[in-house]
Amino acid sequence: MINYLIRRSAQMLLVLFFSALASYALLSAAPGGPLQGLLQQTQSSTRKIDKEDIARIRAQFELDLYFSVRFSRWLAGVPRGPLSIGGRELLGGVVVGCRIPIEAVVRIGGEDTLQTVGCEQSVSMRDLVGRRTSRGIIRGDFGNSWAILRDRPVSELIWSRLPRTLQLQVVATLLSLLIGVPLGLYSAVRQYSRFDYIATTGSFIGSSMPTFFFGLILILVLSILFKRAGWAYLPSGDAAGVRAYTMPLLGRVEPKSLLDQTLRMIMPVTVLVLVSVAGWSRYVRSSMLEVLRQDYVRTARSKGVRERRVIVRHAMRNALIPFITIVVFALPGAFGGAVITETVFNWPGMGRLFVDALGRNDYPVTMAILLISAVLTVLATLLSDVLYTVVDPRIRVS
Amino acid sequence: MAATAEALPVLETEAMPVEQSQLRLILRRFARHRLAVVSSAVLVFIFLLAGAVRSLVPYDATEIEVGNSFAAPFTVSPKDGRTHYLGTDHLGRDYWSRILYAARISLTIAVVSVIGATAVGALVGALSGYFGGALDDILMRFVEFLLTIPTLPILLILSSILLQSPKAVPVPDFIINGLSGFMYISALEARQVVMIMLVLMSLGWLGIARLTRGVVLSLKTMNFVEAARASGVSTTRIILRHMIPNAFAPLVVSASLGLADYVISEAALSFLGFGIQDPTPTWGNMLSFTESYMFEHPWLPLIPGLPIFICALAFNYVGDGLRDALDPRLQL
Repeated sequence: MINYLIRRSAQMLLVLFFSALASYALLSAAPGGPLQGLLQQTQSSTRKIDKEDIARIRAQFELDLYFSVRFSRWLAGVPRGPLSIGGRELLGGVVVGCRIPIEAVVRIGGEDTLQTVGCEQSVSMRDLVGRRTSRGIIRGDFGNSWAILRDRPVSELIWSRLPRTLQLQVVATLLSLLIGVPLGLYSAVRQYSRFDYIATTGSFIGSSMPTFFFGLILILVLSILFKRAGWAYLPSGDAAGVRAYTMPLLGRVEPKSLLDQTLRMIMPVTVLVLVSVAGWSRYVRSSMLEVLRQDYVRTARSKGVRERRVIVRHAMRNALIPFITIVVFALPGAFGGAVITETVFNWPGMGRLFVDALGRNDYPVTMAILLISAVLTVLATLLSDVLYTVVDPRIRVS
Repeated sequence: MAATAEALPVLETEAMPVEQSQLRLILRRFARHRLAVVSSAVLVFIFLLAGAVRSLVPYDATEIEVGNSFAAPFTVSPKDGRTHYLGTDHLGRDYWSRILYAARISLTIAVVSVIGATAVGALVGALSGYFGGALDDILMRFVEFLLTIPTLPILLILSSILLQSPKAVPVPDFIINGLSGFMYISALEARQVVMIMLVLMSLGWLGIARLTRGVVLSLKTMNFVEAARASGVSTTRIILRHMIPNAFAPLVVSASLGLADYVISEAALSFLGFGIQDPTPTWGNMLSFTESYMFEHPWLPLIPGLPIFICALAFNYVGDGLRDALDPRLQL
């Protein structure tokens, strides 16, 4: 077991390194970035922006460094300057980037494109001394945000959004377990009954329903139409209100009160619950049907064990084993949040943060969320494999 | 329905003498799944609408009628007497016309992406399963690696990059021109459509590769394959006559379920602002506009939202019916 864990951990680290490298490369290849917006801004204004300004901004976002150097600084916080061994400086002159690139219009395949053709002034290792840098992802420093909270640490941004996402995800996950598991079990025990038919049809429709559409329908009915009809309605948008509002039945609702926050949670939670209940109940149902066909269930029945006991003791416990895997995978979701649901309901959580960061080219934030999600996904995989062997002695690790 | 139409002739031509009744058996089993039959009819109807856009709509997709925004359904235009069957949007563009043009675009994206992803996935899976060994190891490790990455964020990143620099991926001109002619959009918009197809395909082939590999692996040990090999049938012929027809059923089922996913994914990308951009009409970006105006015009989201939902549901039901008809043992 120990050996197995060590080998798996090594594999995990490798996978994480590659996924970090791949996502970092992907985002570096993306056009735009902080410079683009600035250039467009200054083109329209009267103030001229000169080469020095551009070089300074490029340096601020480390865009003047080569990809490998930038990646290594982002990942591990090195190199921060020349090595010094025994008072002597080593590698000081190594070129690590280009401060002012020479750009020229090149004709490729009949089209004129602007390309970097050379370097006017390069950056050497010595120039890195004194530059502000993060201590590296592996030391838990995600650097500073570029756009959303300019020059504030990414971690600050994440800490401010994470509680909102957790609040949503924990409630939704618990509720969908409470609903989905019994639903699936009961459907399986009463296979082909009216209940089973309705439940399977419902979960089929639920899993075909696009979350964004379902969210909008809820807002349409529960917020807008109910309010117009003069009934008690559900406020939508954001996790807490700004000013007090009154409605029939509940009277005056103070902003940020428990009632206000609960009301605002109902719709996003409903959307999340619908989706997971649809998936989970189908899964539990088919797993339970599989188990009910097994010989040991027939044996138990023929021994004269009461049906209730057969189902609870013999069938259910075995049917729920594979389900552990799926539940554990709710872990990365609980961090990353539900991108679409949070966007529809304007919920200030991690999912919406990701979309905002991507839309505003705030790559440090994007990378941080991606990387933490990747770590959690990999951990969840390991956890579910290990849990499997714990709850099901028939399975051995190899 | 598109999937059935493609599947059946192949099953027929690859057939042994008894296969004719096999086909009838499949059809009869499919017909027993009532919702699947209804869904096929609905899909045929939607595809016909999308196919005959030009003769069905009074307006161009991007035609703006100034001063007549948010018109109610069945409003007659004061200028030229044309009818806005489903009303107009915030710019005074005709919803009915845009919905149909969007159907053409969204459905083509889904169909082409599914075909592309299935082709790539089936090829990789078949190679991996048939040849095994180091090739299998490398390909499957790579697939598993990609499967650990959360899908939606990666799709968002890819499309945000590809939409910002659409020239990054070279696409042959005839494809761009063909699509722009077929969808009645400009070449620039067609390029965007191709990018979104690539984004959807980029992760779509993974599941199919695993599926095909599994099928091929289990087929390799089957008696009839062994028998064929023993009687001196060539490898190519074994793959063509025995492997592919047998792997066809799961692929057709997964493709029709995939259509549902792709319609939703494309709409989701557009809805989040990382898909095909306005003014090119797609159900997703139309839906995302209605969100901003739904407090004044609450019924608007239903116009682009219902087609997405109906198509997704119908594709899923057809997939379900096909699974029952082709091979009830399939677990997809």
